[in-house]
Amino acid sequence: MEKRLKPIWITPLVIALAVASMVVLVVDGVGASPSLIASIHIGGFGEVDYYASQPMPNVPPGLLVRVYLINGSVIEPVDAFIDVYANAPNGIVHVSMGYSTTLIVPFSNVNWQYVINKWVLLGLLGVSSSEYETSMLIFITYVRGNESWILPLVIPYNVAWAIKNSRYIVVNAFINVNSIKPSEVIPAMPGTTAVNLQLPSNHSDYTTYNCDLSAPKPPPETAFKPEITCLGFNGSLPATWVTLSNGVIQNDEGLQFELNIYFSGTINWDAMAAGYGDIGISYSAPENWILSSPTYTIGSQITQPGSVYWYYENATWAIVNYTVWFVSSSMGTYHLGNATVFEVLYVPPNDHYIGMVLDYGNGSVSLLYYLASKHYLEYPASIVNYAAFVYTGQEYLYQCNGPVTNASTTSGTAYAITLGGVNTAYSLSLAELGTGLGGLALGISSMLITPSTSSSVTSTYIEFFNVKTGTNLYISVIDASKTYGLPTFGFILNATSYYGNPTTYTCKYGKVAQIG
Amino acid sequence: MNVKSLFWFYFGFVFVGFASSLWSLLTSVLTVMPMPLPYWLLYTPGNIVTAGVVVVALLLVLYAYLGVALVLGKLLRGLVPIIMVIAFTIGITLLLVRQAIPALIILVIAYVMLIGTYIVITSVTTSRTSKALWGVATIILALMPLILIRGGLAVINYIKYMALVEQATAIMASAIEAWRLGTHNP
Repeated sequence: MEKRLKPIWITPLVIALAVASMVVLVVDGVGASPSLIASIHIGGFGEVDYYASQPMPNVPPGLLVRVYLINGSVIEPVDAFIDVYANAPNGIVHVSMGYSTTLIVPFSNVNWQYVINKWVLLGLLGVSSSEYETSMLIFITYVRGNESWILPLVIPYNVAWAIKNSRYIVVNAFINVNSIKPSEVIPAMPGTTAVNLQLPSNHSDYTTYNCDLSAPKPPPETAFKPEITCLGFNGSLPATWVTLSNGVIQNDEGLQFELNIYFSGTINWDAMAAGYGDIGISYSAPENWILSSPTYTIGSQITQPGSVYWYYENATWAIVNYTVWFVSSSMGTYHLGNATVFEVLYVPPNDHYIGMVLDYGNGSVSLLYYLASKHYLEYPASIVNYAAFVYTGQEYLYQCNGPVTNASTTSGTAYAITLGGVNTAYSLSLAELGTGLGGLALGISSMLITPSTSSSVTSTYIEFFNVKTGTNLYISVIDASKTYGLPTFGFILNATSYYGNPTTYTCKYGKVAQIG
Repeated sequence: MNVKSLFWFYFGFVFVGFASSLWSLLTSVLTVMPMPLPYWLLYTPGNIVTAGVVVVALLLVLYAYLGVALVLGKLLRGLVPIIMVIAFTIGITLLLVRQAIPALIILVIAYVMLIGTYIVITSVTTSRTSKALWGVATIILALMPLILIRGGLAVINYIKYMALVEQATAIMASAIEAWRLGTHNP
């Protein structure tokens, strides 16, 4: 007789477990495990899951928003004020709201259908509605004691899904009271602290308008009173630009440059929120351009500080300010807090709508700088690279985060610098980054691929010609996708130091090449 | 050989299969209920992936135990599950360091060795019912990639049902074998 290895109850347990497994597997199988199509993370505070089949019982095709409170290691559903807006081609429309742990908005919602019709009407000119990759804008307000948290989220979706009733969009919003800064709940009268959007009065490349579109049905009465200020912009949306300082205009007369753009595939525009950063893709469109600018000469074509930029014509974008009030007949009126979102609403889908203009302080690039620095978003922190030409007895070329390469051409040696900030930031190989060479004397090039456009090539180059003794040039490269949600990079040229006078900046290589 | 030492393999197989299927059912139902839940019980893709990784890790430990037990029992076919476990571990490691192509090659080898492991299990089971069920599970396991390659993503739902049936068959076979090993002295 063998030694008994196991207790007597273990065999019945195995049988019981096996039978229970059969039951569970059958239930799982009958419910047909939901087919997850895609999943997106928004910062540390949101998750969007797209299903082709019903993921949970009693959920219709459309949007399901669930709110969770993170408190230490426990996460639990929590009641919050959920307010949903839909982006239309030229504005935003209030769709639904409620105070609960979950909010279900079916595609058949009247206000959502109103917005879908706006997209369908836009598409009557020959664009299929499945090409419109727009988004929902969601604000979630959670109040505890005299503190409140407002989460802004942007949820991308395809217009055709709403027409065909073919997707289940599940949004999980996570309110982490330990990591998200709260607002103070203060007694106030509605409207008294509404944000006044100050803009420069002299603008030429865009028009502003009120983009808070009224939907057919007014929202239901609740104690929570949201106020939306939607400032719309219609006109040129910058794609890439070079900004020249006064010093460069004065010191570097005769210097020539070209601004080149190479976009291919689906381009995503991310929405940005003050205090939160990237909150999701607000619009996507297929774009395909390979374009070089004319050669601009400082001193002749360009005579004053400003910007030269490629732009999307006839685009719409918006600044949305969201303010929430609590109004109670017994307790009075309280201001709960506000959130500001910068988002692209619509960009034409093909390459006919692109142009190049100069901006001497009244164009879209100036407006972006103004909004970023004065009002809403942090800006100098997103500079990803530096390069410089400096005369110190002999002429040198400094570069920061990428290798210097040179090539022989018929007119001498051409130098090319891969501005490798993106290489470091997004872990791309040098082969993916590539190198562009200026044909005549010297090319400073960068081939930059944004992280959110995996199936696309998005690159911008700036090339310099006629660099000679006495040229003083400090080039700063801004990752604009981190500030404005534009999937590209801007260049700022200064004569005496890098943009924003950084006292320290990290250079991976710190190479210096003598070019004089 | 000492077949009795395989009892714990069959027990573990049933236990892991039960725990993982119960977890996926519970989370999908509980997540729509308005009740406090620990994070790992939320039905989110991140958690499903984590649960999958845990299940695979536990199964690999079980297969390694099976292989070692067979080799110690002087059955060299125990090398098949051992090679399979090593191949899966290398393949998943390669995936984690983003070496997709070598990872795919290694994982294909691992899958073939997994089918081999099922054949080995079929050969060492002591009851006729269990042998038949493991045999069916082996055939389904071998057919799934062929059907997927032929039909593409259009047949993914059928593949899901096949996987469910395969899992059910293997669990049932393990339970019967554990029952037999626990009550008989061969």
